Amino acid sequence: MALHLNLLHEEILEQRQRQRDPLKIGLLVLSSCGALLFLYYAWNAYETLEIKSKLSSVEAEWKKLEPKVTQAQKRSAELTDVINTTRVLDDYIDNRFFWGPFLEKLSRCVPPNAQITSMEASLGDEDKGGGVTVTLDGVAAAREPRSAAEDLRQMLLEQLGKTYHDVKAEFKTLEDVETVATIGGATVPMSRFMLSVTFNPSAAKPAATPAAGRRKAKTKDE
Amino acid sequence: MNLPKLKLSKDQTKKLALSAMGFVVLLYVYFSFFLGPLQKSRSGTLAQIEDRQKKIDNSKAEVNKAAALERQAKESMARFAALKALTPEGAPIAWFPPKMKTFFANQGIDRAVARLESNTNFKQNELAAWTKFNWLIDLPQADFASVGKSIAELENTQPLLSITKLSIHVLPEQPQFQQVAIAATTVIEKR
Repeated sequence: MALHLNLLHEEILEQRQRQRDPLKIGLLVLSSCGALLFLYYAWNAYETLEIKSKLSSVEAEWKKLEPKVTQAQKRSAELTDVINTTRVLDDYIDNRFFWGPFLEKLSRCVPPNAQITSMEASLGDEDKGGGVTVTLDGVAAAREPRSAAEDLRQMLLEQLGKTYHDVKAEFKTLEDVETVATIGGATVPMSRFMLSVTFNPSAAKPAATPAAGRRKAKTKDE
Repeated sequence: MNLPKLKLSKDQTKKLALSAMGFVVLLYVYFSFFLGPLQKSRSGTLAQIEDRQKKIDNSKAEVNKAAALERQAKESMARFAALKALTPEGAPIAWFPPKMKTFFANQGIDRAVARLESNTNFKQNELAAWTKFNWLIDLPQADFASVGKSIAELENTQPLLSITKLSIHVLPEQPQFQQVAIAATTVIEKR
């Protein structure tokens, strides 16, 4: 075994002690941690900057889109208003009661030996069902003037029942009068009547659906 | 393994303790004043981006919806314009009575007088821009056939007019003629 002589023993020990100095090691550890923390911070800062730039681009896109959206929303509201108003107006138009066809039916129901002298007709509120009330004053002349008036009532029931629903026709008054009328050269007695007619122009008729063949035949007849 | 024994002097221990405290302070400052605000700003920005993105997505949907509605509403727009065109400019009291007079004159009924009875607003929100005008149209001398045809024509040509009351009386001196009173309601846009 070779013999080693350490003549610098004290200096080497001192150097080793310096190297193992805890303060120095601590400072080294601290610096490393600091460097790591700084790197972590720098990475985060970079990411944040990237996110901020993304936000700027999103903001720019939004600024570009915002006026279009405001305009689109305004236009949508306008269009919705128009659509709704048109729908309500169309409902109003479709739900009107047409007096022309009613007057035509009425004129066809009056026989030559009867005359209507006055008619008062009114359309009820839609909230209350929208029924029509008609009061007819008139005179009928025949051998049996009351039955002539009754014929008119029956005819009204039949004809109006074809188009309208819940048709009712009632005499409010029916009385003979002393006046006589001449029809076809013959003198006949007269009666005066007041007829109240009510019907519903829009209610659904609770009728069974006719068979296909029957429906076809009816269409042909019409 | 023999670990070398660390013999720390009093001064060194003090320095070490100070360094440890400094390290803790450094960590506190780092997290509280550097990393913390950065993270906060980052999460705030992310939330802003999400919010804006949501708005953009919704807006795009809104724009598409408006475009689709525009296509769908074409028919309604045309119908609405046609209904609006039925109402002349100006106050209804100024144009409706002459219009009725001309209309009935064209139907062979010379004397027609229209009077405004009342006007009311609609209850429906959809018709907030429209008003209901109630008129009384007097036809002092007309024959039944002409009246019937006129009324049918009026109802067909004036979709926004509806007759609510009709009264027909025979003229005592001239039984071939009738005296007619028509209560009509018109829907007119507010101007």
